[in-house]
Amino acid sequence: MTDRPKTKETAHTGRKPTAFRLDDGRVRLDDASSDLLSRETRIVPAREEDGDSVPAAIERKPFRWGRLFAAGLAGLVSLAVGLSIDALIRDLFSRSDWLGFLGVGLAALAALGLLGLAIREIAGLMRLSRIDALRDEIAAAAERDDAKAAKAGLQSLMQLYHGRPETAAGRRALSQHLGEVIDGRDLVILAERDLLKPLDEQARRFVTESAKRVSVVTALSPRALVDLLMVLFENLRLIRRLSALYGGRPGFVGFLRLSRSVAAHLAITGGMAAGDTLVSQVLGHGLAARLSARLGEGVVNGLLTARIGIAAIDVCRPSPFVGARRPAVSDIMGELFKGDPQAKALLEEAEKEKK
Amino acid sequence: MPRSLISRLADEARYAFDNISGLAGDLAVPSLRLGVTGLARSGKTVFITALVHNLMHGGRLPLFSAAASGRIAEARLEPQPDDAVPRFDVESHVAALTGERVWPHSTRQVSELRLTIDYESASFLSRNFGRGRLHLDIVDYPGEWLLDLPLLAKDYATFSREAVKAARSEARSHLANAYLATLAACDPKAEADEAAARRLAAEFTAYLAACRADEHALSMLPPGRFLMPGDLDGSPALTFAPLDMEDDAPPPRPGSLAAMMERRYEAYKAHVVRPFFREHFARLDRQIVLVDALHALNAGPAALADLETALAEILTAFRPGRASWLFSILNRRIDRILFAATKADHLHHEDHDRLEAILERLVRRGAEQASFRGAEVDVMALAAVRATREATVLHDGQSLPAILGTPLAGESVDGETYDGKAEIAMFPGDLPDDPEAVFRPGADLGKAGVRFLRFRPPKLERTAEGVTLSLPHIRLDRALDFLIGDRLA
Repeated sequence: MTDRPKTKETAHTGRKPTAFRLDDGRVRLDDASSDLLSRETRIVPAREEDGDSVPAAIERKPFRWGRLFAAGLAGLVSLAVGLSIDALIRDLFSRSDWLGFLGVGLAALAALGLLGLAIREIAGLMRLSRIDALRDEIAAAAERDDAKAAKAGLQSLMQLYHGRPETAAGRRALSQHLGEVIDGRDLVILAERDLLKPLDEQARRFVTESAKRVSVVTALSPRALVDLLMVLFENLRLIRRLSALYGGRPGFVGFLRLSRSVAAHLAITGGMAAGDTLVSQVLGHGLAARLSARLGEGVVNGLLTARIGIAAIDVCRPSPFVGARRPAVSDIMGELFKGDPQAKALLEEAEKEKK
Repeated sequence: MPRSLISRLADEARYAFDNISGLAGDLAVPSLRLGVTGLARSGKTVFITALVHNLMHGGRLPLFSAAASGRIAEARLEPQPDDAVPRFDVESHVAALTGERVWPHSTRQVSELRLTIDYESASFLSRNFGRGRLHLDIVDYPGEWLLDLPLLAKDYATFSREAVKAARSEARSHLANAYLATLAACDPKAEADEAAARRLAAEFTAYLAACRADEHALSMLPPGRFLMPGDLDGSPALTFAPLDMEDDAPPPRPGSLAAMMERRYEAYKAHVVRPFFREHFARLDRQIVLVDALHALNAGPAALADLETALAEILTAFRPGRASWLFSILNRRIDRILFAATKADHLHHEDHDRLEAILERLVRRGAEQASFRGAEVDVMALAAVRATREATVLHDGQSLPAILGTPLAGESVDGETYDGKAEIAMFPGDLPDDPEAVFRPGADLGKAGVRFLRFRPPKLERTAEGVTLSLPHIRLDRALDFLIGDRLA
């Protein structure tokens, strides 16, 4: 492996044109679809192992004292809990044998449950990080227009949705494209169109529903505390639904992590959003806000939900937005006030009040 | 010159008249004239065949948005508008490609076809008020004839000077020996002599044909009818040849050899070139310029430079520009031009970017001019019919990106000649990252390591129901989307 071409930029000279007979054992096929064109030469398709990917920049993490503290404390707490359970069971045995065995059985049940929970959490976390890795992989493939990387990424995307019958048609279409389309970027765009589009539509519907509910409840609720709780609950539920929709299915810890990355994403993109969409939204719906302060609050809370929902879509979607358009706050808010009879009724009511 | 100005004005008036009469038909169903331009052997016939076949039979065109979203209800062939032109025989071309697996023969005459597409528009207005139907008019013709178009702007003296200078150039002089010798022997001022004229024309034709042979692959060889006479074989309009004219020589004496040649040249322009241009190229809406860069790459920098000149000269004959609905009543403009490097299946897709860079360099002059006038320009490597598959070959510890296919009978690599039946894996060599490298005089790609074989058309499988799968292609769908996608939106 002296001067194997790495990427398109690499210069290489001195490789002479060569022809090989097909019965030559050195010939390996690249594409899985080759049997579409010719069946007389069945050569076992072998994917080329990639040993030449660019090494990722190594991050230097500072030593984390907080983590050390937490680990120590958690160890102490679990020791304490273990000790107290041990003491409890000894006490039970000293009272009566059957009580002791009952205690042991219950402790075993609890341990089993804990184990199951832990496994589920770990699986959820792994799914989340797999989606994150997949998104980075697909984004890189689309950016470099690298067909090989795009094919690998989209194969695992299809695997992710393997158990989802509603994506069957999309997966079938995509696997045909994998054999025929030659540009990596085009493949990613096709995957978005064929496989992810129904999911994207569903996701948008979820966000709109939540934003609508939050707006209406805020506008109608008698107390501030009620809408605060409602907004919190609704947003968390939205994140969870979106994650499940895109194949994340996080457990509790995974959900916490997901919420954190949604918040981080919101913080990163928040500045931009305030610049372009928020202002126009506020101005556009300023009329409603002037009509009624409560309605204005409802709009603001709905906006917040919409933005959280869009950030959650960014975080949960296993592919970046390459060909498809990322839903904008204005899409969701526009829909919110367009066809909804409740919102319309509210607006009308506010107008009456003013008169 | 006042005379050429008058004739130009007359031409413009005729184009405008043709356009207005065509417009009446367009009110009923809009039509789109797609100009498929390309020199000989650049793959025009195959491109048209693949385009029509894929559209008519619902081929796999995932990146052609109208077809991918299922909005094309039907595409069918309809009687073409010009009754005097033969119909493009798409059925027999498809049969030859899929059945016998041979490429079409070189085109010998003009043919035309009209493809009518019934579609559902994606926009509300045109869905409710539009016709939902589009006529796509395509013309196929011998690529050699395209070389005539630059002659329209040249008089005989200019043509002669350029042709003689080219024949004496380093790349060609060894091919033009016989012609140059005959040329030296005859005097332009002498009495007109039919025998001398015939001899000169025959020698000139032989020289042009020699330039075109595979190992030289030169392109800039006007006049085109000398190479592909069509139905004009032996007519006096073809018995002329460039003479050795001095710069700013006085107009030739009437009755001299030069005067006769000049008269025939003007006749050739008036009766052959101008009607050809007016009927088929003056009123185009979209244009695809097919370039067989690989053939020229095989032959070396001289062939590439020649191809560059030929393309630049040909493109000056067309009228790119932004189409406006008001001016389009009088004057059609080509508002989208696609430059396509054909036969991209003859190399691995890792090299497609480099091929596109070389093509961009080749057509730079024409592309810049077109985008300056407001036309949209795109460049891509495509294969209208994909004859190969891709594979990886492990060889001497290197893994080479190769292509699999059946070479045409008679093609050879490293002394091994193929019989047209054996399937091989071919590593064609690497194109350089810097497109300038292949244009430098003296750069010998054949030795540096690029060699492109010609492959037979692909073998198509039939499904259990006996349905033939559609012709495979590379980026034909993207090309279609660029060329006609907006008219189906």
